[in-house]
Amino acid sequence: MANLDPITSWTPADAAHLGRRAGFGLSPEAAAALAASPPGAAIDAWIDGLGADHGAFTAALAHADPVDEPARGSAPNQAPAVPGPHPYLVEGAQAWRNDLSRAQAYLAFRMQHGPYPFQERLALFWHNLFATGWQKVDSVALMLQQQQTLRELGLAPFADLHAAMSRDPAMAIWLDSVLNRADGANVPNENYAREAMELYSLGADNGYNQQDITELARALSGWSFTVAAGDRIPDPTSPGRWVAGRGTFRVYDGGANPEGEYLWNALGAEAPPARLPDRHGGGPVTFLGQVFADIDAASGPGLAKGEDVLRSIVVSRAAQASQFLARRLVLHFVSGAASQADLDQVAELVRTTPGFDLRQVLKVLLKSQWFFEPANRFALVEGPVSWTVRAARALGLDLAAADAAGAAQNRFAAWAQVVETFDLAGMRLLDPAGPNGWHEDRAWLNSNTVRYRTKLAAALALGETFTQGGAARALFPSEVARWFPTAPASPQEVLDRLVALLQPAPIPAAVQAGWLGSLWPAAFTWDAASQDQARQLAFLILCAPSSQLS
Amino acid sequence: MRLTRRRFLQGLTAAGAAAWGLPGCAPATRALEPASPRPTRPILVVINIDGGNDWLNMLPPTAGQNRSVYEQRRPTLRVLPAGLVEIGAGAGLNTDFSGMSLLSDRGRVAWIPGIGMNNPNLSHFVSTDLWGQGSAQPGGTGWLGRYADAAFAPAGDVLRGITVTNDLPVMLRGQGRSFVSITSPSGFVFPSSLRGGLLGAPWDAGLLEAGYDAAVSDPGAGGPPGLAYAAQVGKAFLSATQGFGTDGTLPPRTPAVPYPGDASYPVRRLDGGALSGGLARQLKLVARMLAGGLDAQVFFTRVGGFDTHANQQVEHANLMRALGGSISAFYEDLADVQTESGNAQDRTMILAWSEFGRRVQQNQNGTDHGTAGLAFCVGRGVTGGFYGAYPDLGDLDGNGNLRFTVDFRSLYATVLERWLGLPAPATDALLLQGAALPAYPRLGFV
Repeated sequence: MANLDPITSWTPADAAHLGRRAGFGLSPEAAAALAASPPGAAIDAWIDGLGADHGAFTAALAHADPVDEPARGSAPNQAPAVPGPHPYLVEGAQAWRNDLSRAQAYLAFRMQHGPYPFQERLALFWHNLFATGWQKVDSVALMLQQQQTLRELGLAPFADLHAAMSRDPAMAIWLDSVLNRADGANVPNENYAREAMELYSLGADNGYNQQDITELARALSGWSFTVAAGDRIPDPTSPGRWVAGRGTFRVYDGGANPEGEYLWNALGAEAPPARLPDRHGGGPVTFLGQVFADIDAASGPGLAKGEDVLRSIVVSRAAQASQFLARRLVLHFVSGAASQADLDQVAELVRTTPGFDLRQVLKVLLKSQWFFEPANRFALVEGPVSWTVRAARALGLDLAAADAAGAAQNRFAAWAQVVETFDLAGMRLLDPAGPNGWHEDRAWLNSNTVRYRTKLAAALALGETFTQGGAARALFPSEVARWFPTAPASPQEVLDRLVALLQPAPIPAAVQAGWLGSLWPAAFTWDAASQDQARQLAFLILCAPSSQLS
Repeated sequence: MRLTRRRFLQGLTAAGAAAWGLPGCAPATRALEPASPRPTRPILVVINIDGGNDWLNMLPPTAGQNRSVYEQRRPTLRVLPAGLVEIGAGAGLNTDFSGMSLLSDRGRVAWIPGIGMNNPNLSHFVSTDLWGQGSAQPGGTGWLGRYADAAFAPAGDVLRGITVTNDLPVMLRGQGRSFVSITSPSGFVFPSSLRGGLLGAPWDAGLLEAGYDAAVSDPGAGGPPGLAYAAQVGKAFLSATQGFGTDGTLPPRTPAVPYPGDASYPVRRLDGGALSGGLARQLKLVARMLAGGLDAQVFFTRVGGFDTHANQQVEHANLMRALGGSISAFYEDLADVQTESGNAQDRTMILAWSEFGRRVQQNQNGTDHGTAGLAFCVGRGVTGGFYGAYPDLGDLDGNGNLRFTVDFRSLYATVLERWLGLPAPATDALLLQGAALPAYPRLGFV
């Protein structure tokens, strides 16, 4: 039985486990510092992001402004480097002219350097659950707007998050909500309604039927969003077309269309009509056995009953929804081999937490004795993005050091060089292949993805360079001297300290002996050659099966 | 299967007669090439048409009640007679499915309309998994993975099963053997920076391999559960590098014909612009692997975008152009590929499938998830025509969906036994996995 009681003792190794699973790794020093507080307070603070210093990060974002790229379009780039926590969401994205790899690099940069790692890790978790793809959305800005919603509501009551995703402009394009009309003789478009239950709240065939899908689709018909004229970005690859820079959600309410707004559809943007067109299928809907009447204009937001219908899912199907969420949370944070009894317990926790409040649920789960059980350490295969970011945090220069060297831009450029490899390693950020996202745990590893992890390991450990502006720059600048603030006395100490830095699962003693014997066949001195060998050893550790686990 | 009077009558028609292993019903008015004899080293190329292909608009009904129901339920999405080439059995081939018409004319395409399963739940993901497992008792392995278990050497044959996608679908997972995934012609090679860089070529792989071997042979009592798995995968990667030769790349090759996405390819998108070359790139890579002498027998490819809930008129036409163009280009290209076991065109069969078809009733400008789908096989060894009855559009289920006419495992049984040469008892055991069901009937196209 899973023991969900909170842990009472707490060591740096425990903190490191929390950092791997619920963040992107902690240095040995940071793990020790976290373990110095009582576990309850420390883990609450980790989840809430307390004590995080956003100042340096925000300043670095302004420095790392990607708009110094050569202009791609005709319009001069006038995007200011806006101070604040999220300066790229609109202005930056517009400057990038819908450049996916820039946006991916921006996310990876946030994961490596952001002061609130749990928020980024949780956004990554939700990104996989509400998997929405740039390929069809065709807007970096809308994809990043969705990421921001995931950051803001990742710890909210689940119905709030579910409703927000249902109103999210990227989602509305991705699953055709913008084309769902049930007025007159039109049959509603079921694309979003089906996934709202199958993939986003209940699981396939779990407490609903085809009729419920059709009724939910009808309840949501007419939902769309508008963009202001200034938020339409010319598509640099296709003259005359536009991509959306920012969207404002609209429920049809019979009101007038805001001045200067364009109604979005799958084909671009419609010329603004005088009033938002009535695409809603009126009348009552019967959903999961409950009847929902139209809300009249006097008492509520126009004809929109969709939100009430959506919010009813976790109430009328609490058992199924809590099972669904439990399975996903456990698979990402705890174990790929949990028993049904374990999952039932976590589902019970979710169901009995008022409003399925995810902050409370995660605080219990990530403090539990079960989470810290030895059997659950290194029990999951780490996904390629978090795997890479964790190695970069361990081996690369940190944000402050980069600033002191006056080379903050390179931190961002490094990610721009390698994000393509994420795709090859099986995780194209902001663009999963389908609405069911990426399969987790063992599915992360196959012969092809291992090949690209090898490539990423080389970039991170061996100090690979790329050429920019005629000068060779290290892809991920790192100094072996920084990995070893004091000189190691023996090959075994080199290995032990790298293991402490990179935190792989235990490496068999015979393998360690084989590596050390090959790398240091003769007497050991800590010289430049040994430092190169230490890089090679870091590469071997990153490639080892032990390092693929979290 | 409930036998209605209508279905009984339909069973007497030409299309119905083709079901369950009877000779195919090919249009009698055209001169057909005879099928090639089954090769000694057959190759199978699987194309996963991802998203639930609206095959009703690929092979729309041309006559009778099926046509009138189709017209009525698809007021704006229906394909007009002018957009169809009659291919018999009351069905026409959409002219946007360009490339397939010529292959069909030559008798090289076996169409299986109405392929499906009992109790379909209309989920892409559940359906795809069931198609992958292909078993009455789903056990987490796939039918091609179990084939690899049965037919590939336990240690060796590393490159015999290959997916050119960068994942490992359920369909390809065996108990002891799985396919390797290769997405680029550089195959399996260490990053070039390593070969010329800090790590010396003679021993870098050796050190990695030592780590993999140790974890495979002795994962350690109480060690992390994923360790042996991670080591096996790493070992597969290293073993595959051996099959790619010393520099890890395939010899360059210029295809004999243009593929969709090539500048010289004649067919364009319906809305102008070039066709997507996604599938074409994968098939080109398969042809290059065969020409390069890779000893592979089963390949897996995927083309997505078929979840056409919206803007179907334009999107589906473009998808059909890319799909049909890629298949026909690949087929023609293979004629130019010689292998040790003979010409690749003679050796290869293409099997294309989708997890389901779509609802007969259109929504505003697209179609929602449905049931019975279309599978088809293409090759020199295929006897073209229709296999299994075209579903009866006048006899839909309570949700407006088609009733399937051929169990998808009949297709697998046919391919495993009659194309890949797995003995009949082994084929039945692979698909039934101990379930006490009658064996799946074989279809007669090979």
